[in-house]
Amino acid sequence: MNKILEAEGLTKIYRRGREDIHALNEVDFSVDEGEFVSIIGPSGSGKTALLNVLGCLDTPTKGSVRLNGTETSHLKERELVRLRRENIGFVFQQFYLIPTLTARENVELPLLFSHKNGNESRIDEILDMVGLEERGDHLPGQLSGGEMQRVAIGRALINDPKMILADEPTGNLDSLTSLMIFNLFRDLKERGLTLVIVTHNMDLAKQAERMYTLRDGQMVSCEKLTSPGNGVVEGRR
Amino acid sequence: MNFLTLAAKNLMRRRGRTLLTVMGVAISISVLFSLLALNSGYEMGLNREMNSLGAHILAVPKGCPYEAASLVMHGGVIPKYLSDNDLEMVTSIEGVNIASPLLMYQFYLKDQNTGERVPHIVYGIDIDEMKKLKPWWKVEGRFFEDNETKVMVVGRGLAEYENLTVGQILPFGPDKEDFTIVGILGRTGDQDDQFHFLPLSEAQRLDRKEGKITTIAVRVDDLGRIAEISREMEKIPDVQVVTMTQVMGTIMNLAASARSLLLTVIAIAMIISAFGILNTLLMSVNERTREFGMLKAIGASGLDVGKMIMAETLIITVAGGVIGVVVSIGGSSIIEGFVKSMLPYSPSGSFIHISPELVGFSLLFSVGLGIVCGIYPAFKSSRLTPMEAIRGGLE
Repeated sequence: MNKILEAEGLTKIYRRGREDIHALNEVDFSVDEGEFVSIIGPSGSGKTALLNVLGCLDTPTKGSVRLNGTETSHLKERELVRLRRENIGFVFQQFYLIPTLTARENVELPLLFSHKNGNESRIDEILDMVGLEERGDHLPGQLSGGEMQRVAIGRALINDPKMILADEPTGNLDSLTSLMIFNLFRDLKERGLTLVIVTHNMDLAKQAERMYTLRDGQMVSCEKLTSPGNGVVEGRR
Repeated sequence: MNFLTLAAKNLMRRRGRTLLTVMGVAISISVLFSLLALNSGYEMGLNREMNSLGAHILAVPKGCPYEAASLVMHGGVIPKYLSDNDLEMVTSIEGVNIASPLLMYQFYLKDQNTGERVPHIVYGIDIDEMKKLKPWWKVEGRFFEDNETKVMVVGRGLAEYENLTVGQILPFGPDKEDFTIVGILGRTGDQDDQFHFLPLSEAQRLDRKEGKITTIAVRVDDLGRIAEISREMEKIPDVQVVTMTQVMGTIMNLAASARSLLLTVIAIAMIISAFGILNTLLMSVNERTREFGMLKAIGASGLDVGKMIMAETLIITVAGGVIGVVVSIGGSSIIEGFVKSMLPYSPSGSFIHISPELVGFSLLFSVGLGIVCGIYPAFKSSRLTPMEAIRGGLE
């Protein structure tokens, strides 16, 4: 299988005052194209730091990240912007929707930056894919938490990325809504997208094909889940 | 969607704050616009007034010459006089084309409408010399002859205000003598619209100033000889000479000091509003650092974020500029009244001069203000790495 994302010996050290914080310590990580991987670990274990380094939002202190065959450590910011735009869709815990834009406009927003404006049918398709075909004209304030996260996922999908990186995408949602979001992720996987999800919800993490466990900045295990999603499928819409 | 609609929608998130900032800009642009309109109109008004006087040189009694000159133009009383003798001497100077004697004084009459005492200004003139000095004068009815008695010509503005008609008998002077209005002057658009014109001898008789003249308005054959003729006139013992260029210069100097005060006010208004905009922008940039991180994560470059902030700034300042210009055009008469009360001398009539160039300049200025104010916040937000932004690390 083709490795879409590969990281070796990732170390990330933050300075806080006089203290050095080892957020990541010699972490190896890889995802195959079309794979659904979860990263789990207690808070402070370095999950978010790992995801940010993997998504080229942050640079590692040491180690290398290869995204779709491109070594990222020497790239300039401008080249990183393009690489991110073409390969990765991000989903955040806090959604980060712009409150004065409708669901549709929030989904459309990345097209403004990638200069692919005006592709209305593509937006319709995405809204349909995330189950919001009826809610396109609503402002985020009129949507439920689950719907807002669907908008954010739609926004991550609009530029046709190869991979979705999600940081605690269900952290602000109740368990039923979380389940529905995970089912959406599985739909996306079936469409051929690669998914990397950071979470501390074990039930949800177990829906993935592979589960990494991070503790104190070190990768402590990588588990292959044989029958992902068992026992929770009835929650699906 | 484009950057402008995105910026406009971002501004809608804090409507109150946006509106207040726009109003701040509007006020300062309106101050700028009004003052510039005034500046260009002031000189035009002054020149118009100087030309309507028709004279190149004024011979006035010795004393304060500039005050005298100002009074001659606007009407008023100078408590010192020249004599018929002085007039003859001025007339005899070589190069003097027209020497028009003037006697002016004012008296108060009860206003028919309000009952208040209003000043009326009387001009005693030599009609033939005056017609040469002001060839553009037209009259409804007729001009009087120099030797006529109890006749007058009134200015158009005065006639309209007091409902005077040609042929009407007007009780006039301290003894309420019956004067006939033989003519009403055509509208001149300057101070002449407000005066009572009497034959010089009648004006002298009425106020018991026989043989007295307030000023002699002189027109020369050759403008190049003004200085030489002025020196000749200075040799007459009672006479002080004021040339129109001197008067202009003095008035412009006085006006310049008042204007520099106003310019200071403008500069301060601009600085205050610039800091206001900057403050608003930095506040909104700081509030949204995490969001900028998100924008970068979804594919925005630093330049894109900077462009968005710049668009927000320009929307604020241009909206403020448009409102400011519209408000100042709408309220120009109020502004003019205020400024007139501040300037030591102002031409009669409206002197706020609004031109398309001025509107363009003011709007351009608001764009410039936006660029100046937006550049730092835009730069600051564009430089954030996505990670700094997501962690909210804008210090």
